[in-house]
Amino acid sequence: MPDIAFSDRQLDAIREVGNIGTGNAATALSGLLSRMIHMDVPKTELVSIYELGEHYGDPLQIVGAVFVRSTGGFQCSLIFIQPEEDAQLMVELLLKQQFGTFIPAGEVPQEMTDSALTEVGNIVLSSFLNAINMLLGTQHQISVPGVAHDMLSSILDVVASIYGQMGETALLVNTELKVEGLEEGHKISGHIILIPDPDSLELLLRKLKVV
Amino acid sequence: MAENSIVLGMADLMVVAAPIKLITLGLGSCIGLVVYDSFAKIAGMAHIMLPDSRGLHASEKVGKFADTAVPALIEEMLKKGATRPRIKAKIAGGAQMFSLPGASAEFLTVGAKNVSETKKRLARMGIALVAADTGGNKGRTIEFSTSNWMLKVKTLGKGVSEI
Repeated sequence: MPDIAFSDRQLDAIREVGNIGTGNAATALSGLLSRMIHMDVPKTELVSIYELGEHYGDPLQIVGAVFVRSTGGFQCSLIFIQPEEDAQLMVELLLKQQFGTFIPAGEVPQEMTDSALTEVGNIVLSSFLNAINMLLGTQHQISVPGVAHDMLSSILDVVASIYGQMGETALLVNTELKVEGLEEGHKISGHIILIPDPDSLELLLRKLKVV
Repeated sequence: MAENSIVLGMADLMVVAAPIKLITLGLGSCIGLVVYDSFAKIAGMAHIMLPDSRGLHASEKVGKFADTAVPALIEEMLKKGATRPRIKAKIAGGAQMFSLPGASAEFLTVGAKNVSETKKRLARMGIALVAADTGGNKGRTIEFSTSNWMLKVKTLGKGVSEI
């Protein structure tokens, strides 16, 4: 049973919010890593909460994830998910830029890797949130980020716990970012997933004038 | 005799006769609840997502919520030949994947609530909880063997334990 229903026009409007957020996030990431960033057109997705793991890839794949909560006018959560190898490469790239020498991620203490990841996630996700709140004309506060390395499906339990109480479908805005200009064979990509609070969707649509 | 395996997805609930291995992959804040009657040689598993149904919608799966999954699983066990005093339970899962210092959001601690609600419901039905591996901040993959009635719990970075 579909428990939340949206018109195509509404889904398009929500996607545009994702587009503006991602544009700003990609710019921030580009500045941080001094690389071009390729950004996909965001998708607004209605996903069954029972199939979240499969929807985003191999449910058992190990990923690095940074999660923030945004409160204020438009309440939502935001998550930046990367395959674990990509997250490690990104940390190496960042450290090389900071210190001028290459240090393999495996030789860096976990706390430092996490702190670097948290910082990247924080900058990317804050940029996203700043842009969309400016568009909506809402005030917002962002939580301290939380970081986790684990199986994709375990990480995505958080989405199920947000949407599960009110139904069986989650509304998510999903974009993939890819870092360009890396060495041959290297890849750094990540997904930004916007998880609006179910009860802030109405406000979102009202602000976008697509009620 | 080799055991066939059945993998349960989110909110699934199932009772099987030995020899079958029951598996749930990548539990985060969710709970894997196992009940078994080693004499009747049957076992059940539920992949519980949330503590409280607050009035279930007609279309929803009973396995989704602790308050509906526990009675449904026990009833299914009894229907397939278990007797209540022989039924034992094991649980794993209920982690908190993200901690956000200073942020208060109910959904972040849903794992702990899943654990306490599941335990409460088991106790209310008089089912003995004989083993548990819950909480923490890591996901778990679990396998229950109906040949030795042990629950294998795999946790990233911590290896495998049997409870």
